[in-house]
Amino acid sequence: MHGAAAIAGIGESTYYERGGSPHSEFQLACIAIQRAVEDAGLELADIDGFVSYMDSRNDPIRLARALGIRNLRWTGSPWSGGGNNSCASIQAADAAVSAGYAKHVVVFRALAQGQFGRFGQSGGGGGGGYLGGAFAWNAIYGLMTPAQQCALHTARFMHDHGISQEALCEISLACYANAQLNPRALRYGKPLTREAYHASRWIVTPFHLYDCCPENDGAAAAVVTTAERARDLAQKPAAIVAAAQGVGPAFATYTQDTLGSSHYGQVAEHLWQNAGVVAQDVDVAQFYENFTGPVLMAMCEMGFASPDGIESFVKDGALQGPDAKLPFNTSGGNIGEAYIHGFEMINESVRQIRGTSTCQAPNVERALVVGGPGYSPGSAVLLGASA
Amino acid sequence: MTRVLGDAWPLPGLDDRNRAFFTAGVLMLQQCKRCQHVQHPPEDVCEACQSFDLGGFESAGAGRVESVIVVHHPLHPGMADIVPYAVVAVALDDVPGVLLTGNVTNRAPDAVAIGDRVEVTFEEVVDTANNVTLKIPQWQAVDG
Ligand SMILES: [Zn+2]
Repeated sequence: MHGAAAIAGIGESTYYERGGSPHSEFQLACIAIQRAVEDAGLELADIDGFVSYMDSRNDPIRLARALGIRNLRWTGSPWSGGGNNSCASIQAADAAVSAGYAKHVVVFRALAQGQFGRFGQSGGGGGGGYLGGAFAWNAIYGLMTPAQQCALHTARFMHDHGISQEALCEISLACYANAQLNPRALRYGKPLTREAYHASRWIVTPFHLYDCCPENDGAAAAVVTTAERARDLAQKPAAIVAAAQGVGPAFATYTQDTLGSSHYGQVAEHLWQNAGVVAQDVDVAQFYENFTGPVLMAMCEMGFASPDGIESFVKDGALQGPDAKLPFNTSGGNIGEAYIHGFEMINESVRQIRGTSTCQAPNVERALVVGGPGYSPGSAVLLGASA
Repeated sequence: MTRVLGDAWPLPGLDDRNRAFFTAGVLMLQQCKRCQHVQHPPEDVCEACQSFDLGGFESAGAGRVESVIVVHHPLHPGMADIVPYAVVAVALDDVPGVLLTGNVTNRAPDAVAIGDRVEVTFEEVVDTANNVTLKIPQWQAVDG
């Protein structure tokens, strides 16, 4: 299984500010998928599987009909949640092609928040009514949004390890800085300064406005096939060296032993075990930053730094640019490029393996993507120039 | 008692799983009758021994603030006069491992810190539509 599958093609729609898409969400998905298939050197008729995540509204039967795909052999979607499943979706496609259930599986994520409203934005508050189910336990106290949930963990992590606001700022600054190199990025031409970061309003302590990724419209897709088939296609394959999931606490549940965590300890254990390498062997990494704070926790849990050393690991612009010690969110990530629920990071990692990023790290042998932190199951994928 | 988040804040929809927690007037958690494990939120199964035989555990309600955030951004215009407010995660002295969330009723949002000692208090609200009196667990800071 190790490196038996590869990403052979990538594509994305133009990225738009929230509500700015002239296309429906489904049309955005079709654009990204068509471009990924074309990039791979395939025809739409070659596609026989679909995987998405986060309760995608763009279901595979509708897509198959719209795109003229007659021969659908595999569909899948990791259990519900959010961007925590971004890399689990690649794992599901890898499983399908490695086992021979399908030949060319499209993995994608599309969102038009102008059309459907925001993700991760639960109801509650303001207008009376009742709060039900698991949501009620915390929403009754005004703890509702992912920003608030992630802030509760981040506040404890910062307290325990003496981490200052500057460490969070560094994550946002790196995403903005790298986005200045990427014409696809929604923050291209809109640099962020340390002063503007600190002057921005609080959303929820310890998150300023610039600690939170903005909302937008767009779609991204990738084609997963076997490594053997990928070798004969149009692009240099990005081998799926390893992919992993891991569990943490249930939704809306806080426990003493998981407070101050991004819940990526088990993902790390499984990923490095499957890959046979360690964090220090990674040449470039994309970390899903719905909010900056959980990235610091995820970096520690994935093995890049210790909690007491994470601030010095990220400080003074250490994460910015292609020559950083750990080139990080090189397309700008969710904050700088576009919030395609982390799928833009999958495509960026493929570019790093191909050597075509706008912020290209030198001699990339291994490119890591870490999915949305703070929720479980978390997921991560390691891509390689070779299996 | 006026609610921390205002009297227009929504109420919990009561069901068999949460009724005791939101109405008992004491801090009532779920406990396994077989192995005495206490868990929160309640589940259909004991997470320690997988028993279905679950009952209640009355906590003394004394604890410590383990994390705190201050919410500044109102999710809707109707929340503009509610923010800023603090949300805490509290560890109980008599229930290791579990955290409860809540608000601190007797401190300004920015005057709550990790390590503060708290004890349970209750927001009494009459749900007139359902003719039930809710006693929603909250926290008050105690000195020392
Ligand atoms: Zn038990």
